[in-house]
Amino acid sequence: MRFEIDRPRCEGHGLCEEAAPDLLHLDDDGEVVFDVAEFGDEALERAKAAVRVCPVAALRLAG
Amino acid sequence: MTALRRVVVVGGGIAGLTAADSLRASGFDGELTIVGAERRAAYSRPALSKALLRAEADLTAHELPPHEHGAVELLGVAATGLDPATRMVSLDDGGALPYDGLVIASGSRARRLGAADGEHVLRTLDDAIALRARIADRPSVIVVGGGPLGMEVASGALDAGCAVTLVTAGAPMARHLGAHLAARLERTALARGLTILRTPAARILPGAGASAVALADGTLVEGDLLVSGVGDIPNTGWLAGSGLDAAMRPDGAIAVDARARVRPEIVAAGDVAAVPTLGGHARSPIWHSAIDQARIAAVSLLRGDESPTLGGAPYFWTEQFGLTIRVVGRTPVDGEPELVDGDPEGAALLRWPHADGTATAAAVDYRIPIPRLRRLTDVAA
Repeated sequence: MRFEIDRPRCEGHGLCEEAAPDLLHLDDDGEVVFDVAEFGDEALERAKAAVRVCPVAALRLAG
Repeated sequence: MTALRRVVVVGGGIAGLTAADSLRASGFDGELTIVGAERRAAYSRPALSKALLRAEADLTAHELPPHEHGAVELLGVAATGLDPATRMVSLDDGGALPYDGLVIASGSRARRLGAADGEHVLRTLDDAIALRARIADRPSVIVVGGGPLGMEVASGALDAGCAVTLVTAGAPMARHLGAHLAARLERTALARGLTILRTPAARILPGAGASAVALADGTLVEGDLLVSGVGDIPNTGWLAGSGLDAAMRPDGAIAVDARARVRPEIVAAGDVAAVPTLGGHARSPIWHSAIDQARIAAVSLLRGDESPTLGGAPYFWTEQFGLTIRVVGRTPVDGEPELVDGDPEGAALLRWPHADGTATAAAVDYRIPIPRLRRLTDVAA
């Protein structure tokens, strides 16, 4: 699995980073950076939590 | 505790959805039913008074990603009663649902000033779509209520080209954020053309085709459209007589313990729930709190005392009059803040240390991810 981000929609809240700090973070400009290109089942629940907590639904799961 | 076979979630909003997702994520593979009074899939409520009201709105701003919980969803159906002894939820379509575990996430509804037809509120997606259509015609708008909802609606209506008068008891936003941030917002709102009228009490006078509000001193304020943002009332009427009265608060919210439990087999989350805080039980009717509470509530149903406890500082944000303010930590905050970074009159990162070693951190037009803002609330760091 991997993440997809709708950058124009992202408001930089960073709640996704709080939910899955090992998978993604926000850089100094508040842009989402994926720390792993693909992740396996062991990270899936954290990834789902990161997607769910986004208040503007900018983050999605793909693949 | 015995394994749960049937869980009923009352409430189809973000708390109910998150509870359902979290039950599945925590291994619950039994029967899951979500009862939602609105005929709508869960949506992002913060977007309703922000992105969705903007003139150049993204009309999908409230949409959430599809869920994967595989629950039976009864939408347009409301719970009307609960019998904890027989573990049954009764429904307004005449049906009843047995449960082993119950999630109370029935949310809240808009408080109204009166019964006048002309009083618009903004609580549901349908309310937002109706309000958006009305302000597109550029009516003169009276907004009653100086909290985040009233101010965001006033901002959206100004943005749409309406003349807007805000009627408020105190300084707008002061009760929510404290004097410093409220003053910044009020200056910005006034510069954008908002008219602010303060009055200890406002009363609606139904008029013919127009809307009028009487202030405490007798002044009459008239406009084409009246919107109130004067708070919300927890939806707990269906719990009356259920035997959960001991957990009911005077404001109608249901009190939960630090693991979001009312009883071992009944949990509550979101706008309906009053959670333990330093100052006693209180609701935290905001997006991130609803999600946090729902997650913990789901784990509590499945694992009891092995569940983590509530307690992260709430995260609040508002967008109004071109300013975005994000806050982590308790509010309102008194006094002047430390300037951590930026320009006090521009993009600013601010902090108010408290005596207990925590702090409230606020970012005003300052892009900072929440984990970093949260770190600022630990003064020792």
